Amino acid sequence: MASVFSGAPPQGGPGYSFSQTRIATSSGIREHSFYPYTDNGGSTLGVSGADFTILAGDTRSTSGYNINTRYAPKLFKIGGEGPDGTGARIVLSVVGFAADGDALKERLDTIVKMYKYQHGKPMSVAACAQRLSHILYNKRFFPYYVHAILGGLDEEGRGALYSYDPVGSYEREQCRAAGAAASLIMPFLDNQVNFKNQYIPGSGVGHALEQRVPEPLPRKDVEELVKDAFTSAVERHIEVGDGLQMMIITKEGIQETFSELKKD
Amino acid sequence: MNHLPQAWGRPRDDVYGAYDASHLQTSGPQQHTQSPIVTGTSVVAVKFKDGVVIAADNLASYGSLARFTDVKRLRKFNSQVVVGFGGDVSDMQYLDRLLSSLDIRENYSTTETPLNAKNLHTYLSKVMYKRRSDFNPLWNHILVAGLEHENKPFLASVDLLGTTFSSPTLATGFGAHLAQPILRRVVPDEATVESVSREQAVALVKECMKVLFYRDARSLDKYSIAVVTKDGIDLKEDEKLESQSWAFAEGIRGYGTQVN
Amino acid sequence: MTSIGTGYDLSNSVFSPDGRNFQVEYAVKAVENGGTAIGIRCKDGVVLALEKLITSKLLKPGANKRISTIDRNIGVVSSGLLPDGRHFVSRARDEAADWRRSYKAPIPTSALANRMGSYVQAYTLYSSVRPFGVTAIVGGWDLEAEVPVDGQVGSGPSVGSGGKVEGLKHGGPFLYMIEPSGLYWGYYGAATGKGRQSAKSELEKLDLAAGNLTLEEGVKEAARIIYVAHEDSKDKDFELEMTWVSSLAGPTKGRHEEVPKELREEAERLAKKALEGDDDEEEKMEE
Repeated sequence: MASVFSGAPPQGGPGYSFSQTRIATSSGIREHSFYPYTDNGGSTLGVSGADFTILAGDTRSTSGYNINTRYAPKLFKIGGEGPDGTGARIVLSVVGFAADGDALKERLDTIVKMYKYQHGKPMSVAACAQRLSHILYNKRFFPYYVHAILGGLDEEGRGALYSYDPVGSYEREQCRAAGAAASLIMPFLDNQVNFKNQYIPGSGVGHALEQRVPEPLPRKDVEELVKDAFTSAVERHIEVGDGLQMMIITKEGIQETFSELKKD
Repeated sequence: MNHLPQAWGRPRDDVYGAYDASHLQTSGPQQHTQSPIVTGTSVVAVKFKDGVVIAADNLASYGSLARFTDVKRLRKFNSQVVVGFGGDVSDMQYLDRLLSSLDIRENYSTTETPLNAKNLHTYLSKVMYKRRSDFNPLWNHILVAGLEHENKPFLASVDLLGTTFSSPTLATGFGAHLAQPILRRVVPDEATVESVSREQAVALVKECMKVLFYRDARSLDKYSIAVVTKDGIDLKEDEKLESQSWAFAEGIRGYGTQVN
Repeated sequence: MTSIGTGYDLSNSVFSPDGRNFQVEYAVKAVENGGTAIGIRCKDGVVLALEKLITSKLLKPGANKRISTIDRNIGVVSSGLLPDGRHFVSRARDEAADWRRSYKAPIPTSALANRMGSYVQAYTLYSSVRPFGVTAIVGGWDLEAEVPVDGQVGSGPSVGSGGKVEGLKHGGPFLYMIEPSGLYWGYYGAATGKGRQSAKSELEKLDLAAGNLTLEEGVKEAARIIYVAHEDSKDKDFELEMTWVSSLAGPTKGRHEEVPKELREEAERLAKKALEGDDDEEEKMEE
């Protein structure tokens, strides 16, 4: 009789759901069905010149086939004062997962500000670039899902441009395109900025053909290139469009421009 | 019934199969929200020259079941901010309490300027982003409607991933597909906001609520609507959709009783 | 004092042979040096008022508020050691927040007074701490309306079970005063600090128990009483600080707020006039 009221059922009978009181067993690790990333589309690019750097990005923000908004900037002034970033000399562009991009921007901005307050001088672009790499690398096991491009002027006053992968690998370059339409824009920049596949006519035949030597482009030309790059990308990529935000960093400071792109 | 009191009222293994003990998870990994349970559908909002109009219906669904029909998904924060919640209702209640405690703390001092809509949106976006980064998301898509400095209309959104964006018109959930195109036709950009009157904005939002009720199966014809201006918040929580016309239903073919 | 040299006043939590706790009594002395604080429970709200003594001309007028908000509907004014008052307020806010976490509703004034009474009393029990050097007056309006709990989404069934008791009344204005011993009572009118004696006698004249005094009258009386209580320390400058809390239908909509500047200034003008009137009478008598 006692067995009736003991917690465990008698052996040999039909199995019941409570037959084993060992509720502690777990059938292995369950996977989370929550995915913490999304792609907000859009594209960015940067080109450095002899005494300037230009960064640009479209202002469309997407979720799947939806347009969240037609104006969501991807370019941010870093280390400036107040809501307008007055006095900033460095620009960060981020494209990919916008929430991570915003978080990254705020961290870098804080760090560059703290550097200025603690050392009494603005952070150099090279130092900022390496710091950004460390921030990204520190979160390599749960990365900021963004492609970052950092622009400014180096110690000699030349245009400086750094591009990153999501886990902090970085490189100083003449030009870089990132984001949804990177594959459309980058070959264009290779050709137009670094003169890839451009040869000096009549310099030889086959392997003797001489590469056209790249040289820093004038600012006017670069601005035209950027606009052409984006108008072309808008034609072929659905996640790119609405508006074009540009920031031009010179020794005078940062000049910001906005122009319309197709909204279709 | 048999001689085993432990078995009374419980599913039999030989009928239903053994209970999967992993559901109990006493020593398994810590579980966080994997999906919303009781949910609210779209929230729609539009800016006009003096403020913002925001609306959401009063339904909380449990899957396809219309579980609660008088749920207020627009929450006043203070005299210049309304927060509209789509998504999980229990997470909405948590956030509502969080905002309430924030408001109490903000009012310990009467001298400081009150939090405006922009401030609150920043706060909420940090909360949402922190929770997604902890793999413990608050399953909501939130619209913050109100005023920022100098009584400028403010409207922005934050979702369970911490993604934020702002636009003259916004709609969450189904509304992003159905309402947003209607809203954008009237208010395509920030410049147009200046020429939209309060009456126009209210009518526009009401039209969207109607379209959503026609086509969103998880929606209700009872809704809440709030207008935020510098004179305060006009919140109505018991509105009914007006002048519905189901004439279009006649033309729908291909399923139900009309097969072709 | 007879206690001096006996040693019974050296440690907290030690009784003297005649059953007194001297440390607590010394704490009361600290309170008696503070600026006068009063609270009046009117029929439609509570007024808290404070004679804020100006300790330096370098302090900005109107800044450094001393009456604090605990929850939306409750305020605290204290007299005595200022930092102790700050700590009291901080704890009261934690208690109010804790109550909300548990019950999803604002803490009733009585419950807050009870919790704070217990807290203050605990500081009389241990030799490692000293009692609070403040007497605090807690005033609040417990909401009379049927309110949803925090985060509530529905209103429940409009018919059927879950009914309410008809004609049951709850909520209203409440006023408590907590002393360094932890002792607290509910009051119609409470006064503490330097001018408490004259303030109390003025409060008694108001016949608050009858429940006829309106909130607006209460504000004016409170201002007058602070001015009367200040008569004994006339050499010092002071600022009048006043807050109030009314019903949902009243001027503060159930919230604890500062009395608006215009009303406070009007009350101060009347208070000064009333005092001058008294002086005139005295002068006449002298004649």
